[in-house]
Amino acid sequence: MERFLNPALLLLLLMVAILSLDIGILDVEVGSALIEWSSSSLSGEALTREALIVGEIRLPRTLLALIVGAAMGISGAALQGLLRNPLVDPGLIGASQGAALGAALVFYFNLFSGLGALATPIAGLIGAALTLFILMGLSGSMARPAIIIMAGLAISTLSSALLAVVLNFAPNPYAMQELVFWLLGSVSNRGLDNLAVLLPAFVIGSAMLLTQRKLLLGLSLGEQVADSMGLEVTRRGRYIVLGTALLVGSSVAVAGNIGFIGLVVPHLIRPLVGYRPDRLLLPSALVGAIVVLVADMLVRQLPPERELKLGVLTALIGAPFFVWLVWKERQRWL
Amino acid sequence: MALMSIDSLTVQQRLFNASLEIHEGEVLGLIGPNGAGKSTLLNAITGLIPRSGRISLNGQDLEQLDSLQRARQIALQPQFIESVWALTVHDIVSMGRLPWGDCDQSIIRAVMQQANITDFADRHVNELSGGERARVWLARVLANQPVLLLVDEPVANLDIHYQQEVMQILVDYARTGYAVVIAIHDLSLAARYCDRLCLMDKGRTVKTDTIEAVLNSEILSPVFNVDVYVDLDNQPPVVLAQ
Repeated sequence: MERFLNPALLLLLLMVAILSLDIGILDVEVGSALIEWSSSSLSGEALTREALIVGEIRLPRTLLALIVGAAMGISGAALQGLLRNPLVDPGLIGASQGAALGAALVFYFNLFSGLGALATPIAGLIGAALTLFILMGLSGSMARPAIIIMAGLAISTLSSALLAVVLNFAPNPYAMQELVFWLLGSVSNRGLDNLAVLLPAFVIGSAMLLTQRKLLLGLSLGEQVADSMGLEVTRRGRYIVLGTALLVGSSVAVAGNIGFIGLVVPHLIRPLVGYRPDRLLLPSALVGAIVVLVADMLVRQLPPERELKLGVLTALIGAPFFVWLVWKERQRWL
Repeated sequence: MALMSIDSLTVQQRLFNASLEIHEGEVLGLIGPNGAGKSTLLNAITGLIPRSGRISLNGQDLEQLDSLQRARQIALQPQFIESVWALTVHDIVSMGRLPWGDCDQSIIRAVMQQANITDFADRHVNELSGGERARVWLARVLANQPVLLLVDEPVANLDIHYQQEVMQILVDYARTGYAVVIAIHDLSLAARYCDRLCLMDKGRTVKTDTIEAVLNSEILSPVFNVDVYVDLDNQPPVVLAQ
């Protein structure tokens, strides 16, 4: 059954993605609208209403939800494997708080105004990179994964405190409201140009994680065993931390906080791959993408004047699941 | 010829100095009181802690090998080991092939038979009894096919039946031409299954010699700080604190 898991999930993802392009207030023939949009974009002709809706609104939204979900799913699976802990969230290494702070400063100081809509994601990515830089410095060159996490916690606490300062001194209520809404997490009203930030980070980050699958398997029996098998936990573990920071940082920079995906999705997949941490990455990415796409479709069903943010919905679904996980873990220790 | 020779091996931040030779085909027992440095020696040979001094394996300086080359030749079975995920026995044993980057099923099948765990190949390792689990961990390092197998306290917490079974598996492995080093507290078992012994105390190798030369009360009593009764003529041999 395991052999068919990834192809089946890929098929499901494709179907959900097409559905995501199709769903909306206006009934549009997706295929022809997409073709029209791409040919008009190339030739510079004016877009029809259908082409505009599918190509400029639904397509970016679908692609961003897909990539952000995949990034969260794969980085959660990798970080849980690295730290040998099923209750670890990828936000733990501080990159998401760093990205949030970077983006918040854009709202506050109106940074990078020349970049237009890309100012927020780029500032977010810089914030995540700075956090990572401090993280690596603080944890030292010989850091074991547990030390990296403690350093990550320290930095995310610091970033959260600074974010609170930014919110506290917001120049006006509108800036504050905009910032808070942005932090809640969403993939709406974002153009395709956001992919310029997200896609390279996603490709490089995922590749960094996927090349460390052997380490994740070896770590199942502990750091000492993994080291004795020549897997160089300290050196190779850094690729996982770096890859996760890249994925989480870029996702938060583009979409704000879409919580609980990285924590919850690996749990859904684990029994289907025989609990193998090395086989968990790809299906977690696929299911992460599916879950965020479906959640975004649900969000779109609500009337626009009462918009529920995507990050709020994933938290609403994810938090009870987390409570259940803690309950289950508790049973194991009793 | 010595398979491995260790000369003035020291480690950082600890009073430690070890010199000894390990021969092909032998089971060498590492004995000594708690804190004598047995586990430190095994970890230092494996390269898990920073070390200095000279270690050569088959005449080649160990420092010249990269981590994967070293892992293919030297395998370590730590004292405490557990699987954090509910992996199957077969998956655990297959992990022994990680340093080689293959999944050679003929080797995996053979070591599972050797360790007598074929019957529960598909069960989750966390569901097994302590004795069954000990054999699974052992099968993992055997699948690695190392020329030097280092085992830290393989029979601690095992009943007498499993103690014998595990020790016999290790002896059989050594007899195929490899070498096995076992850190062990049970001196009677050490006398019965090991070919030679290395006595450690306060981070130093005190004496490496035959069973008869090491296991006598004049040598053991001051090291363990207790009167030791030794009867090597008995079958099986008996070494106990008086």
